[in-house]
Parts: sequence; C-alpha cells; structure tokens
Amino acid sequence: MTGTETTTGPRDTPGGEAPLLSVRDLSVVYEPVGATPTRAVKDVSFDVGRGEFLGLVGESGSGKSTLGFAITALARPPARIEGGRILFGDVDIASMDHEQLRTQRQGGFAMVLQAGMNTLNPVRTIRQHFGDIFAAHRHVAPARREARAAELVRRVSLGPEVLDRYPFELSGGMRQRVTIALALSLEPQLMVFDEPTTALDVLVQHAVMDTIRALQAEEGFTAILISHDLGVVLESAHRVLVMREGRIVEDAPSADILHRPQHEYTRMLLSHFADPRAEHVSLPGIEAPEPAADGPDGPDAPAADGPDGPDAPAADGPDAPAADAAAADAPAADGPGRRRPGAGLELRVEGVTKSFAPPRRRAAGVLAVDDVSFTLAPGGATALVGQSGSGKSTLAKMITGVEKPTAGTIHLGSTSIGPLRGRALRELRRTVQMVFQDPYSALNPLSTVEYTLTRALANLTDLRGPALRRRMLELLETVGLTPVEQYAAKLPHQLSGGQRQRVVIARALAADPQVIIADEPVSMLDVSLRAGVLALLRDLRERTGMSLLYITHDLLSARLITDDILVLHEGRVVEQGPTAQVMRHPRDEYTIRLLEAIPDPARVHGA
Amino acid sequence: MRYFLQRGGWFALTLWAAITLNFLLPRMMPGSPADAAIAKLSQNGPVTEETRRAVEAQLGVPDGSLIQQYVDYLRQILSLDFGVSYAFYPEPVSGLVAQALPYTLVLVGLVTIASFVIGTLLGVLAAWRRGTWMDALPTVGGSFLTTFPYFWTSLLLLFFLGYVAHLFPTFGAFSATTQPGLDWGTVVDAVYHAALPATTMLITSLGGWVLGMRNAMITTLGEDHVTFAEANGIPGRTVALKYAARNAILPNLTGFGMALGGVVGGSILVEQVFGYPGIGFLLFNAVTGQDYPLMQAIFLMITVSVLVANLLVDILYGILDPRTRR
Amino acid sequence: MSAPETAPRPLPPALAGLRGGLRTIWTHRKARIGLIVLGLFVVLAVLAPWIAPYDPKDNSFGRSLAGSAQHWLGTTAAGEDVLSQLIHGARISLLVGFGAGGISTIISVVIGLCWGYVRGLPGEVINFVVNLFLVIPGLPLMIVVATYLSDGGISVIIAVIAITGWAWGARVLRSQTASLRGRDFVEAARFSGERAPRIIFREILPNMTSLIAGGFFGAATAAILAEAGLEYLGLGDSTIVSWGTMLYWAQNSNALLTGQWALLFAPGLCIALLATSLTLINFGIDGISNPRLREGSTGR
Repeated sequence: MTGTETTTGPRDTPGGEAPLLSVRDLSVVYEPVGATPTRAVKDVSFDVGRGEFLGLVGESGSGKSTLGFAITALARPPARIEGGRILFGDVDIASMDHEQLRTQRQGGFAMVLQAGMNTLNPVRTIRQHFGDIFAAHRHVAPARREARAAELVRRVSLGPEVLDRYPFELSGGMRQRVTIALALSLEPQLMVFDEPTTALDVLVQHAVMDTIRALQAEEGFTAILISHDLGVVLESAHRVLVMREGRIVEDAPSADILHRPQHEYTRMLLSHFADPRAEHVSLPGIEAPEPAADGPDGPDAPAADGPDGPDAPAADGPDAPAADAAAADAPAADGPGRRRPGAGLELRVEGVTKSFAPPRRRAAGVLAVDDVSFTLAPGGATALVGQSGSGKSTLAKMITGVEKPTAGTIHLGSTSIGPLRGRALRELRRTVQMVFQDPYSALNPLSTVEYTLTRALANLTDLRGPALRRRMLELLETVGLTPVEQYAAKLPHQLSGGQRQRVVIARALAADPQVIIADEPVSMLDVSLRAGVLALLRDLRERTGMSLLYITHDLLSARLITDDILVLHEGRVVEQGPTAQVMRHPRDEYTIRLLEAIPDPARVHGA
Repeated sequence: MRYFLQRGGWFALTLWAAITLNFLLPRMMPGSPADAAIAKLSQNGPVTEETRRAVEAQLGVPDGSLIQQYVDYLRQILSLDFGVSYAFYPEPVSGLVAQALPYTLVLVGLVTIASFVIGTLLGVLAAWRRGTWMDALPTVGGSFLTTFPYFWTSLLLLFFLGYVAHLFPTFGAFSATTQPGLDWGTVVDAVYHAALPATTMLITSLGGWVLGMRNAMITTLGEDHVTFAEANGIPGRTVALKYAARNAILPNLTGFGMALGGVVGGSILVEQVFGYPGIGFLLFNAVTGQDYPLMQAIFLMITVSVLVANLLVDILYGILDPRTRR
Repeated sequence: MSAPETAPRPLPPALAGLRGGLRTIWTHRKARIGLIVLGLFVVLAVLAPWIAPYDPKDNSFGRSLAGSAQHWLGTTAAGEDVLSQLIHGARISLLVGFGAGGISTIISVVIGLCWGYVRGLPGEVINFVVNLFLVIPGLPLMIVVATYLSDGGISVIIAVIAITGWAWGARVLRSQTASLRGRDFVEAARFSGERAPRIIFREILPNMTSLIAGGFFGAATAAILAEAGLEYLGLGDSTIVSWGTMLYWAQNSNALLTGQWALLFAPGLCIALLATSLTLINFGIDGISNPRLREGSTGR
C-alpha cells in the first residue's frame, strides 16, 4: 500500500475551495527585555483546508508552539509578529480590533493549551467556566446553558457531576477533557491543540487522543495538532508540517511523511521511531538485543546526538561523538578498582511494601509499592515499567536508601539497605548511584562540569590532587564529551540536553558504582537525542560490568537497553520476564493495554 | 473544615507564645524592671502589698522561682489585673488601656481596610494597564510615599494644614468644648479630629498594597488559565477581575498580617504627633515615664489585637480559596 | 530558550552572575536612579567632615535662625547649623541601614535556608518561631526593648532592629529554598556524598543571590525607617546627630510653632529619599528574581 490517501480525511491538499486558514510569510520574534531578540518563526507559509486535520511536529525550540499562539492571535510580549499575514477565511486577523477578535472566538478559532495544572482557573468550578463562556458570547440561551454544559462534558466522556468540581479535584486527564469541552463550547471552525497530551500518562494520552479524533470526525471542525511526538501526529493527522528552527521543512500528507519522507530532518525523526513489539528493533546507534541470544553490539552508527536540536547553544564542535567511538579508545576502562564483568554484587528485593500516611481526607493510607520482589544480577539490566503512580520511583528511592520500606528487605550482596543511615548511607553511594530524569534540573546551574564531577570524586573516592583531576577528565571521555578540557570548563546552560545527561551519567560513574538506577533518563530529551544516551548507558554497562535498573514509562527504550522487565501497576508487579518476550507476547491485560497505547501510524496509514 | 481548625490551633498557639514573650521580656532585661517600677511607684506614696504583687507578677520577682512567677502571671492576665500606672497614678493600668483602645481600633481598623481596598484596586489597574501611566503613577508614587516616615508625614500635614492653614485641629480626638456623647455633633467633631491622622496612615500604607497586588497580579496574568480565558473570548473585564485579580488577591491577603503589624507600629508615631488619645499615645507616655507595667500591658494588647486580626484574615482566606474548604 | 554564549572563556560562575546581575539592575531605569541617589548619600556620609560647613554640634550660633547665606537651612533651637547636621546625619542612617539590614539578612539567610531544607518536626518548630516574629508588631516590640535598654546607644538600636526584622526575609528565602530543594541537583549532590551544610550553602545559596540582595535592601529600608522612628520618640541616644534626633529636637523645641519648616522638612525628606533609592534598586532586583515582572507592557 503505497501512498494511499487516508480513508477518514475529506482531503489532503488544499485546492478547489478557499482554505480556512492561510498563513503567508509569517515571522515571529521574541524580544525579552535586556536580552538579544531571537526569531522563533521564520517566513512560514501554509494553508489549512476546511475540515482538515493538520499535524505540526517539531522538537523543542522548533517554534511550533509560538506558531500556534500566533495563528490563534494569542501571541503576547515578549513574542511579536514581525511580518507576514494570517488570513482566517478571507479576513486578515491583524486587521481585527480587540473586540472583533474577542467575539469571533465563538465560531472562529479556539485553542486547547498544553495539559497542565493551570489551564483552568483554580478558584472557579467547571460550571462557572462554562458560564463565563456562555455569558461572553451569548450564543446559548440562558435556559439552555446548564443542559448544553452537561452535553459538552458528555461529548468528552465525562459525567455531568464534574460541573460542580473545582479543577484541583479532577485528574490530569479529566482536566484536559474539560479544556477540550470548553473549547468545543465555542463551536469553533478551527481548533488548535498545543501538545494536548504531553503531561499525561500513556493510557490517558491514548484515550484523550481518541476523543479528539472522534470529535473532529463528528463535528467536522478543522484541527491543528501541535506535538513533539511524530507518532501521535501521524496517527491522527491527514497532513503533517515538520518544523525545525522556525521553518517548515516538510509539508506533506501523513502517509507520504511516513513512507516517502523527503527532508533529511524528517527522515532523522522517523528513524528514531520504532515499535517495541517488533521482532527486530533498532534506532540509529543502538539496537535491541535479539529475542533469542545477545549478539555483539551493533555496527558503528553515526553520532546519535549529531543532529542536535536548536536548543544546543554551544557552537563549538559537534554535540558529541558517538558513544561507541568514545568507548573504543577509552583508557578509563582499566582504571584502578575496575571490576570484571559479572564480578559485582547482586541486588535482591524481597517482598518490599511501602505505604504512605493518608493524604488529607481519605482515611486509608496509600500503598505505593505492594509486595514487590525481584533480583538484579551483577551486570544485568532490568526495566521497571509503569505509569506515574505505579510505584516505580518509590521503589527506586527505597533501593537507594532515600526511603525506608514499610515491609520487606532489600539486599545488595550481604548488606541490607533498609536500616542504613547517615555515614553508612553515604558509603552506599559508592556502590549504588542514580541517573536523574531531568538533565535540566539535575545540574546546579552555577557549577561548572569540573566542579560537579570533582565534588563527587572527592567525596566518594580517595583520589586527590592531580590524580583526581585526571580521573575527572577520564570520566568526561568515558561519556563521550571530548575535548574533555573544554567540556570541563562549561556551565550547564552551555550544554544541550543530551550533553547534560552525559555529565549526569559521568557523575554517577565517579565512584565506580556496582548498580546504576536510571530514572527516566531520556524522557525529557528530544527524540533525536535519546538514542545516544541510551547507547551510552548500555555500552557502559557492558564495559564496566555494573548492573542497570532502568525506570521508564517508555516501552521502546526499555526494549533497547534491558534484558529483563517488570511491569508495575498500582504498586504491584503484574508481569515479569525477558524484555523481548514480554513485549512480543504479553500475557497480562495491563501490559497489553500499555503496548496498544503506543501510537501506531502504520495502523492508520497502512504499513 | 480542617483548614479552619488548623488556623484556630495556630491562633491559640501564637497567643500563648505572645503572652509568654510578654512574660519573658522584662525578665531577660539587665537590672530589675520590677524594682525600678516599685521604686518609682513609692514616690507617689506608700505601695500596697497588692500593687507590689501585681507589678512583680508582671515584671518579675528578683529571687522568685520562674515557674511560680509564670503561674502568677497567667492568673493575672486572666483577671485582667495589670497593677497601677505611676505615670497616671493612681489609675489602674487596665482602665487606661480600656479607655485608649477604642480610638486606635477604630482609627487603625478603618484606615487599614480602606487602604487595603483602594491599594488593591489600584494594583489591579496598574497590572492590567501595565506600561501605561496608570501603572507608572501608582507604582512609583506608591513606593515613594511608602518610604515616608509616618511621623514625618504627620508633622508635615500638621504643620501645613494645622498650624499654617488652620484647616484642621492640631491636638486630641475631640475639641475641648465637646462633651463626648453619641450625638451628631460629637461624631462630626471626632471625624474632624481623626482626619489628619487617618490621612497620614492611609497615604503611607497605601503603596505597599498597590505594589503587592500589582506584582501578584502580574504573576497571575502570566498563568495559563488567563491565556485560556482570553483564547475563549472572555471579555477583558471578566478576565481581569474573575480570573486574574480574584486569584492574585489570595497571596496578597497572606501579606496582610505582616503589614498590619507595620501599620499598628506607624499608628504609634502618628498618635504621638497628633496627641491622639489612643494606645500609641499611651505607649509613648508610658515609655517616656518609664512606666513598665503600663508599657507591658499595652504591648500585650497590641500583639493580641494583631493576632485576632490575622485570625480574621485567615478565615476570610479560607472562604475565598476553595482548596482550603474541601 | 537559552541564548548562545558568546564569551570564549567564562568567568567563575559566581562572578559572572554578579556582573550579569549588576548589568540587569543598571539597565533598569528606576533602579539606576536608585543607585545614583544611594551613591550620592554614601559620598555625603563619607566626606561629611569636609563637606559640612560647620561642626554639627557647634552651638555657638544664634538660636532658631531662618535660612541665610551663612546658614542655608537656618539653625536649631540650640544654635547648631541645620545643614551640617543634615550632612552628618547621613552617616547614622547609612550605618543603621546597612548594619541592621546586613545583620538581619544574615540571620534570615541562615534561618530561611535551614528551614527550607529540613523536613519534619524541626521545620515545624522554625515555622512557628518565624511566623510568631512575623505577626508580632515590630515597632512596639522595638520600643519596649529599647526602653529597657535605654542607655545603650546606636549599637543597641542596630541590634534591636536586626533581631526584630529578619523574619520576612527568612520566609521569602524559605519558600525559594524549598522549591530548589525539590530540584534534582540537590538530590544529586546528596548522591555525590555532599553533607547538608555544604548543600545548603554551596549548592542552594548561590542560586538565590538576587532574592538575598532584594531582602537586604528591603531590610535596610525598614531599618532606616525604624531607626528614625525610635530616635524620634527619644528612644535612641539623643545626643548623636541623626535625622531622627533632629526631628526629635525639632518637635521638642516647638519648631512647628516657630515656623522653622526647613528643620522639619529636610531631615524627613532625606530619610524618604534614601529609603526610596533602596526601594528603586529593589525594582531592578525583582526583575531578576521574577522574570515576569521584567517583560514590560502587555499591550492591553
């Protein structure tokens, strides 16, 4: 099936009748007071036809959200529309005055903001939110307003009782549904969704996207979906615009993007997209272990961090050479105290339970982790997979001694971790280390890379003076940040996300730990940077013989770097086994749902 | 409900701590305030045993056990017996305080509420019309007025409007000829006398509210729910009031208690300048006469009043913020 | 959206931050005016013996003179030159402002940071103490303490103001500390084997410089006003020459009745100007700690 048009979309190319939205040579500039202006959107032109579902995809800093705010006339200082025209129907929205703009929001264009805590006013009930909109536009007769509000929340699969609730009483997914219902109440011709599911859990994300697609099909409004996730966009949109550094680099029907990507950047984005259920899974620079036997590592691939996003500020040199390259000539591997693979300690988690004191009103305590047992062999790699609230991070805290289990024991070799305190807990940091989720917050913004690594070495090893500095540089080399002297002097804001995460990994390696716990180490990174960090982690494990506990909600990355997997759901292990086998032949219903929630454009556009 | 219980508990605890601080203060000071007070009292004639006990319970017995003193002190607080003033011998301290308190409560209370309301409104306007003169004038003007020392503003108003222009009375709460009563003439006279002190406190405390509300409102205006309300075409007025100001007033209320202490402090200086017979003027007289019993009693009274005001604000906050209700 | 770094070799981060901070304050128009006014007062205070036309305590002149070529602002009821007193008075206000402001900032940094960092019971106890200091009215407390220590001089005044004035700063720093504490780099420092004091003062503290600077100027403003108030009530050392004591003597000598408006007007105006300059500087600092306050017009 090559290039067949989608069956659901009315049409993919704007021709014939006049487009609903027409953007011509649009430029948006950011002018923060006291800083150099940056152009976020550069000479962008495109059309959107009536009833079309358009996707707008790009990595962080690509300007996609700025564009979304501009076309809905919501750009506010320091953002300023510098040039170009936005025609809605046949009206230039720049020509509308404040009041015209306001009144046309009903029956015109609506915007659904990124899912977060704050899109709804915390001190107003959902009913009041609807009431404000109805009062603002008077398009629903007062007597019918209550019924209309109930009808709208029903359209997004919520019961009428949510109308009495305050936003803080709703879950993230429910709040996002309410937001959609509110936008829908405007009966808009065009709806712009800005990352509508980003902050939500996979299953909720999936359900909300289903709702959006169903609504679009029923109501026939024109939709623009802005997202960093190519998978989500391809699955929903008829046509996709790929944005990079403020420009549209490709504009084509979804099927064409999927099967015949023209631009090199689109191809790169696609190459970082794979189905973890497949028999053979690989991303640039990293290949999942084969289901049967662990083959040797994949061939030398081009630098995975190479096509770094526009958030890479440092202009000096490429982001990082491939981890593989660094590995080849890493003398660090023979440093003092190096273990041979397999000679380390075993991590045993037995019957661990953690309950927290009840939050406010509810009488019962919260059981975050419920009777979990597993063993992480020396040199092994286990994935801990689950949604937020599944207890995976609590488990990590207990293994690192930050939290104490309510019941059960955790042993590293013969040491029981639970009772460790003070000095003994600091000793544990030599053997168990952590890679944090958000590289943007895991490094002190005011400390140089050298300082960060030096402190860890001084605290956790006996190295001092020149030997310590040598080791510090070795660490940078190990994680592929060369030239090392240059990187040592840098501050976090001079590094890209991928480079920061490498520094975080280097710090974790300082004391030659036996176990590394990586808590969602790539979830905050742009897709194109993920593979490089994953490859580095796997490579380090294979070279140093440390074991890896990989915590994630992302099944693809788990497939790439782990041998075993535990699926956690509401604190309990629901499925456990070799990673490839669990992904290919899941048995538990929850695992199956997780796997099915992964966006699958092939399903829509034919493989 | 839980929130209100919590605030009630906090109030009780603070009240206890303030009472205890009042007990400890004179006992921590060098020398013996109690001896000094009794020595002063004896200049007015023989000191009765009863008076001596009252003074000692309040200011400390030279060699007594601290716990026994504390028990005596608490008992004394409960019976509202603070001994005899020697600056106003032989008036009892509690009577003096009771006489002066209403003046200050009315003056400070009304001025504070007025200044909070006006200042908050100006702050809302300044943030909403940011970058225009409606922002610049209250912001710069307000912050300039805030730095005026209370007593200096009072002196200027007193000098120019009182002594030079003869527009307002220069001393006291009533004309010497007025017999205090509840008739119309008395009220007019009282308002006439309170006008300058109130104006001083209003213009000096206004700026703080303007700035506090403006900054809180600017922060709120940057939040997603305001953008979303605009995206939904909610009229500017509704967005400004129900979405931005309504939310920004919560953090501004939290600052109320702290600011209140400052206004009460300012009222002491203002009352001194205008000879206004409130608690502040009384405190000034107690201080200049080194009348420790009176001074301690007034300090306790001021602290307790501020605590009660804080409790009221906390309750208001609880009503305004739905998150504390459930 | 991080701007590309153009400098080839960065300064040590603390220095670079300080330089950047100063530049941001200087670009802020109000803050620049504040810095200039403050600078003038500092020059006045330092060079007072050379600038002032007479010794401020020289009472050999005519009493309660109106302004003239010899005495621009006239003389006091005791026969001293008002202008000379005014110039020397800057010394006391600056000393108290920076002294008491500095001490109370140090207290608030230590307490605020520890408070924000610790969890559980110790945190609750600090919470209670700080909130107590916040609600107890400051000036009455100062008045009571200063009355007991009536012959202590300026150092007692500084101590009393500092001890009663740290709580607000501690509260602000506490909430920022608590939010920074949740950042991964603090947890990471713990994983690097750092101990609590070093985490608090080496990892967290440098990230709050602008808040601390803002707290300092705020505390200094409050201290200058409080000192003037106490001196005016006659609670300080009334023999020193300060703006507060000038007003105290002016009031006591019935300057209101004799119509010597310069004697009333000038010291208060100086207090207000000095306090305003500090407030203006804080406008600039606010812009650093809260970028939303920086972005100028909203176009409404």
